[in-house]
Amino acid sequence: MIKVTINGKEITAEKGRTILQIAENNGIEIPTLCYIEEIKPYGACGLCTVEVEGMPKLLRACSAVASDGMVINTETPRVKQSRKIALELLMSDHTGDCKGPCSLNCPAGTDCQGYVKLIAEGKYKEAVALIKERVPLPASIGRICPHPCESACRRKMVEEPISIAFLKSFAADEDLKSDNKFMPEIAESTGKSVGIIGGGPAGLTAAYFLAVKGHKVTVYDAMEKMGGMLRYGIPQYRLPKEVLDMEIDSIAKLGVEMKNNIRIGTDITLDEIRSAHDATLVAIGAWKSSSMRIAGEDLEGVYGGIDFLRSVALKNPVKLGDRVAVIGGGNTAMDACRSAVRLGAKEVYVIYRRTRAEMPAEKVEIDEAEEEGVIYKFLCNPVEIIGENGRVKAVKLQAMELGEPDAGGRRSPVPVEGKFEILELDNVIMAIGQRINISGFEALELTQRGNISADAKTFRTSLEGVFAVGDATNRGASIAIEAIGEAQKASDVIDSYLSGETVGYKKPYVSERVITAQDLADKQKVSRAKMPQRSPEERRNDFNEVNLGFDEETARNEAKRCLECGCHDYHDCKLIRYANQYDVCPERFAGDKHNCKKEQKLVYIERDQNKCVLCNLCVRVCEEDVGKSLIGLVGRGFTTVIKPEFADASVTEFCKTCQKCVTSCPTGALKTL
Amino acid sequence: MRIVVGQGSCGIAAGAAKVYSAIEKIVPETCELTITGCIGMCFLEPVVDVYDGNNLVKRLVKVQPSDAEKIIAFISGDENAVNDIEITDEDKDFLLKQTRIALRHCGIINPEKIEEYVADDGYKALEKVLKTMTPEEVIEEIKLSGLAGRGGAGFPTWFKWNAARQAQGDYKYLICNADEGDPGAFMDRAVIESDPHNLIEGMLIGAYAIGAKEAVVYVRAEYPLAIERLTNAIKEAEEKGYLGENILGSSFSCKMRIKAGAGAFVCGEETALIESLQGERGMPRLKPPFPAQSGYWYKPSNINNVETFANVSWIILNGGEAFSAMGTENSKGTKVFALTGKIKKGGLVEIPMGKTLRDVIFDIGGGIRNDARFKAVQMGGPSGGCIPEALLDTVIDYKALGATGAIMGSGGMVVMDETTCMVSMAQFFLDFTTKESCGKCVHCRIGTKRMLEILSRIVKGEGKDGDIELLEELCYSIKDGALCGLGQTAPNPVLTTIKYFRNEYEAHINEKKCPAKACSDLLSYRIDAEKCRGCTLCSKKCPVDAISGELKTAHSIDVSKCIKCGACYNTCKFNAVIME
Repeated sequence: MIKVTINGKEITAEKGRTILQIAENNGIEIPTLCYIEEIKPYGACGLCTVEVEGMPKLLRACSAVASDGMVINTETPRVKQSRKIALELLMSDHTGDCKGPCSLNCPAGTDCQGYVKLIAEGKYKEAVALIKERVPLPASIGRICPHPCESACRRKMVEEPISIAFLKSFAADEDLKSDNKFMPEIAESTGKSVGIIGGGPAGLTAAYFLAVKGHKVTVYDAMEKMGGMLRYGIPQYRLPKEVLDMEIDSIAKLGVEMKNNIRIGTDITLDEIRSAHDATLVAIGAWKSSSMRIAGEDLEGVYGGIDFLRSVALKNPVKLGDRVAVIGGGNTAMDACRSAVRLGAKEVYVIYRRTRAEMPAEKVEIDEAEEEGVIYKFLCNPVEIIGENGRVKAVKLQAMELGEPDAGGRRSPVPVEGKFEILELDNVIMAIGQRINISGFEALELTQRGNISADAKTFRTSLEGVFAVGDATNRGASIAIEAIGEAQKASDVIDSYLSGETVGYKKPYVSERVITAQDLADKQKVSRAKMPQRSPEERRNDFNEVNLGFDEETARNEAKRCLECGCHDYHDCKLIRYANQYDVCPERFAGDKHNCKKEQKLVYIERDQNKCVLCNLCVRVCEEDVGKSLIGLVGRGFTTVIKPEFADASVTEFCKTCQKCVTSCPTGALKTL
Repeated sequence: MRIVVGQGSCGIAAGAAKVYSAIEKIVPETCELTITGCIGMCFLEPVVDVYDGNNLVKRLVKVQPSDAEKIIAFISGDENAVNDIEITDEDKDFLLKQTRIALRHCGIINPEKIEEYVADDGYKALEKVLKTMTPEEVIEEIKLSGLAGRGGAGFPTWFKWNAARQAQGDYKYLICNADEGDPGAFMDRAVIESDPHNLIEGMLIGAYAIGAKEAVVYVRAEYPLAIERLTNAIKEAEEKGYLGENILGSSFSCKMRIKAGAGAFVCGEETALIESLQGERGMPRLKPPFPAQSGYWYKPSNINNVETFANVSWIILNGGEAFSAMGTENSKGTKVFALTGKIKKGGLVEIPMGKTLRDVIFDIGGGIRNDARFKAVQMGGPSGGCIPEALLDTVIDYKALGATGAIMGSGGMVVMDETTCMVSMAQFFLDFTTKESCGKCVHCRIGTKRMLEILSRIVKGEGKDGDIELLEELCYSIKDGALCGLGQTAPNPVLTTIKYFRNEYEAHINEKKCPAKACSDLLSYRIDAEKCRGCTLCSKKCPVDAISGELKTAHSIDVSKCIKCGACYNTCKFNAVIME
């Protein structure tokens, strides 16, 4: 036996063992990509280097045999720098998609590709479990999300994107219908409690994740029911409240206490909540309609967009005349105009100062509203609401035209001098934006825009122990999935805060590719599944859900269209784990990259040379462990690649059952077919 | 009388074979015509020596086939017949100022005749060793000599021999590394081509010392003449009983063979060489275990460079002390350098350690060609570094050269004048190592590639602020992280050029200028209208018709068409083309 010191810790070890083996046996992690226990050390990756006192050179721990009295340091700045550079160099020639663009573009980072695949396989509960790692309200969100995932979906370069959002609600609906619903595992109680103010998508999401982590969670909400904008901003025909109720119920089942009709500042103070809990999360949303700052806004018959939608949701009597105009081109405007149609208005206008192409609302909403009879008036802007006896009579519209593109590339509308129009109306609904109602939260520092200031990484506010997320913070109102994403991240931060050391959110580093339509030219075209809907004639008369939902066959076939852009090995990939651990920045070494085609010469094994790190494990395992030598190194230096040497039937049959190269690969370069 | 034509590869390239046949046709029977290897005076090739017995009567240089008759006239008694081709006294100094041990037979004996080697004390050292010395005594003598590995690393030879001697094993190998791969290095080739028996004798002494029964010379296949002469020498030695069973009647037996390597630079690294010998892809192994413990076929093996072995027989015959009397405190004996580049007298130079670079380049090498200004010398090829003018008085010593950031290396000495761009020079060597990297370890495989990319963009005028620092960061990481000597030393040319010529890097990056006016992408050409006579020569030479102008009127260059080939600049007789 020998004695060595690793990172200041004295360790007794068997003679003849390598530094790496001794470290591993003593729970000290030394990274390596090219070493596995079964075969001889090779020393290619250069990650396992360590410093040994008295030795000028770095040693490779995988091969250096420890000697008695050796003083080893595995985490010195020099060692870390060497590893970091090695990883940056590797990543600079590593071409692949760690994650699909769908997942990367989802503000909540949902593993879209993962659950789409599970749906394709008919594993709905598993799909829901995967979705709920990020989004605890999938049935609701699947129905209403503007799905940035689909905008990024590469399938659109073949024909149309995968219907990711509807697949999500399909799987969630299946789960809600089942007797054996998915329930997350809840960690042991931490004894800590968190007060969440606001029971909207952000607050509910945080409640879900904090409860799962074992904290006692109480959600306070000013309205009579939980759900926030999902309940009071989104019309029933898009999101039936029965679905939302079931999902909220499943969160309550985790032990989350839900207190409604409690308004901060009137029923309870922020300080009272702070003192009742170990941490507080403010997720109050943005519930005030923005003003257009024109004359006549206070006339009878003028409503704010979200105020109008809330009244409808609350089934408060909303008096609408025959002619209604909704101002704005966003999703709230669409919700408002379609609700107005359903309330019986005969002529419903949407007034928007740009053209249809610039409308921020989802295209499908714009089309469906039109199907339901909504009339669009583009390139005009209200300058005055004209009243008569205190009531709306008309709106004066300034004609607009499109000018130069602004910083965001969208062409700005400019008035056409002297050209106006008067549109006779009974009601005006202003759906041009929403603001935060700060009353009760005056103690919090605000941004210049008047939103709550929260740190982008830690979600901390100016008050100790108070965090804030969602529409009420920083840049203001956005889509639900943004708030959900922030809430999920904030729940991790709050969890770390509660355990004593606040760790801010850090965007994981991933490898991404740029793909063009040409790269996908060989894909067979399969049309996107069409969501079955009630006819416009029928649906415009009531608030029942417009979409009828996918049947199972449609959903599974739709899911099968997925191109599976993300790497199959992402969760097990050592390379990306180390790359994140060492905080790499490979862009500084950007240069030539391998550009090889995926290859299936071994029939049952797909090889992607562009992801290969040349650890040579596959070659060595095949030679040393399996005794076959079916693959080998070809070329020199940077151009070195690994190639199979044979591909006759007997060989490939052998590979079918062996697969040792695939399991030994530290990245996703090899894949079992 | 005997006429000896120098026929090393260099001489043959200069026309020595044609000179030989021209003489052969008319040489009288009374006169012997023979060949020798390389005398080391590349700048004077082809060289023909006329001997009377063992006395060198005349040394004739830059001999052409048409000179054959003069030579015959000379041996027939016309004393003045060859005056115009006789070596000058100044050029004689090139050899007189050298101390030749490893090269002592080169250019003198016929490498294809063992008798000539034996006649010059050949195989006497082997005989002495086998008859009077134990292996331990041999190692002790080598230790006394202070001989260190001449391949570049400078590791004490006795230590390696002793380690191999001490290693447990029933069968041991002795390997000669003749995979000379540095651009501009040709010391080993000259030794094998000119004095193959000296190598064989040195190897046999080494084999005896470590207890090896088999010796292999790993020589690059690009050295066909060396392989041919060594093959012949091995055959001769076997026939004469210097090789094989019970050598010279002793109990020592050793066989020897040649393995031609396919020309991968990395195979000069000893563990990669062993892999290659075993028929594997030439990639370095992890050390430890060192070859002394587990080498060729995983048996104890010792590997030395050609020049190292070339010193051994001399040491045995003259004693280790005589060898260590030459040199400095930590570098003993002599060192052979291949002097090339912008030097007046390029060739092989063997001098005692402790001389200065100035001695070699100016005193022996005669200074810079065309009396241009010396800028730097690259020592040790792609693994070495450059040494600037201010350090010309650095002594030739492992430690002193190492302190400059360069290395002793195997002996390549590439001399550069002020027209050499140091950034392009670094780029050249990085291009070499990038291509020669075996691809095994990350730092070398991708790191050198990225360094080359950065250097290439600097040379093109696309360098960015921070590139020098990025290069330095990569350099230090590659030195630290690369698996073998190739990678660990690959950054040296870059580090030393940044150290001594940082201003050139900065000029390329910040001002988009190449101070040496060597980087074509950073040059522009124009015609000085006052100097231009309108001779039209430049416009005729221009390959892209970028120059226009009437006869006898000033011409001008269309910059948009110009490909910066420099043809106009080189053609103009009136210095009217201005390059800037």
